[in-house]
Amino acid sequence: VTPLVGGTTLLLVGAMLIRLTVTDVYQRYVRVGMGPWLLVAGVLLAVLGTAAVVTALRKGPAEEHLDGEEHDHDHEHGDRVGWLLLVPVLALLLVVPPALGSFGVDRSRVTPGSSAVFDPLPAAAEPRDLTLLEFDQRAFDRQGQSMRGATLRLTGFVAQSADGAGFRLARYQIACCAADAVAAVARVHGAAGAAPARDAWFVVTGTFQGVGKDGVPEFAATAVQQLPAPVDPYE
Amino acid sequence: MVSEVPTKTRPGGDSPDGRQRSRSAELALAPIAGLLILAVLARPQLVSLLDRPAVANWATVFVAVTVQALPFLVLGVTVSAGIAAYVSPATLSRLFPDRPVYAVPVAALAGAALPGCECGSVPIARRLMSRGVTPAAALTFLLAAPAINPVVMVATAVAFPGQPEVVAARFLASLIAAVAVGLIWTAMGRSDLTALAARPAPPSPRRPAEVFAQTAQHDFLSAGGYLVVGAAAAASLQTAVPRSVVDAFAESPVLSVLALAVLAVVLALCSEADAFVAAGLKQFSLTARLAFLVVGPMVDVKLIALQAGTFGRAFTLRFAPLTFVCALASASLVGWWLL
Repeated sequence: VTPLVGGTTLLLVGAMLIRLTVTDVYQRYVRVGMGPWLLVAGVLLAVLGTAAVVTALRKGPAEEHLDGEEHDHDHEHGDRVGWLLLVPVLALLLVVPPALGSFGVDRSRVTPGSSAVFDPLPAAAEPRDLTLLEFDQRAFDRQGQSMRGATLRLTGFVAQSADGAGFRLARYQIACCAADAVAAVARVHGAAGAAPARDAWFVVTGTFQGVGKDGVPEFAATAVQQLPAPVDPYE
Repeated sequence: MVSEVPTKTRPGGDSPDGRQRSRSAELALAPIAGLLILAVLARPQLVSLLDRPAVANWATVFVAVTVQALPFLVLGVTVSAGIAAYVSPATLSRLFPDRPVYAVPVAALAGAALPGCECGSVPIARRLMSRGVTPAAALTFLLAAPAINPVVMVATAVAFPGQPEVVAARFLASLIAAVAVGLIWTAMGRSDLTALAARPAPPSPRRPAEVFAQTAQHDFLSAGGYLVVGAAAAASLQTAVPRSVVDAFAESPVLSVLALAVLAVVLALCSEADAFVAAGLKQFSLTARLAFLVVGPMVDVKLIALQAGTFGRAFTLRFAPLTFVCALASASLVGWWLL
């Protein structure tokens, strides 16, 4: 690979990372905290790539290639696979894959253990926001007695539009990137109207109603409201 | 006037040899241009493909693994190029003892100090070899750096609250596995397999900054290309293997250890994230989950592709199975003792 082609590839990958960070689209794929690191890596790659392209253009094609050949000597098998880096660049430029949706919920469900023990939720007039993960963990901690009677508010997307008497709400937690996502789920009933569309986002207000036979916690909703998909889709 | 143009635009290109060379440089751009055109033309089809949930899931995981690993790769490449440009072989050989028996444990502990993902340590290990560090020691560093660095240990402690023995077991089992692989590699005496990577770079008349830029570009392109292959493999397996298959293995104690070791290889998670996934695999025993945590940072599809690209196929064909067996044995023993 000549410095010109290599430099262009570096520049493209760098530009992709910078664009992902600036537009916040990166939050579909990795944790929010990764943002600054992606930006630093993108800027570094873009600078390296620009420097290589400028040097190669200034030297002119013949000299540039002589240089490249000498370089190839110390790395026989080499960087030719580098062009594969254009595949993710193109994928993000042309189609921008969505955040994880209902497809993977069943294969990546969390099985909450008995390790966490929760203090009871304080009594409050306002509904309390809980992550779906905490809701599931509390549900499996002493039959959910830490949140019985409390008015709760959960946010997630529809994993199954018909599940028992309601629908199934889910949300992913990611530790590092979407490859390690695990989903927490709840069965929401009490909502009037037609079954909601799969992958639509909802915020539901209501109370915990025990755990179903299939291990899915039940949620009796008093209010169900659709939302646009959040920028950071993970908990 | 007109007759001057050819010599001006192509200095040195008037010899037949020179013309040949610049033509091959142009040809190198052809596949890139072709791929671009093809992708733009096929865009409507690509977008409608994403309406299928399985394809969308694949694409998301593929992009996620790649994007997540790139900053770590850039860090690794920067350190590697920095060593190539600014650290003399003499300095390095003072850090690492000459005799492999001593160099291997030193390398394992050196690995514990460098926070980073597995992708970053591959170019660094290669650079250490070409700077005269014993190949076995460089390989031990390669295995230890992503497995037992402070960030990974903290992540493990967070993922297994109230179970410090898991953190201790992970540290111990990974350390033992890395040192064992280094010592066995020394005993095997197959220095021919790493000869290519270990060949010292010829003294360069160039300025260090130039060496840095060129090494960084080369290392990033070769490692990055294989990273993409590995990310595609991991995304395919995550999308295609049904959960029921995984659950079926969880019931037998021996099978579950094996199953999670294999799962670690095919999922190719980042070593800083795998503890959280392991914590979620509650159907499996703690020893099985330890095997997952010890094997994952040392052998996985993404790493195998990266190593094959960096050190060659013949090397990887021996190194990856050896590492897998050592990691599995070490995790089983430590798990049986501590967990």
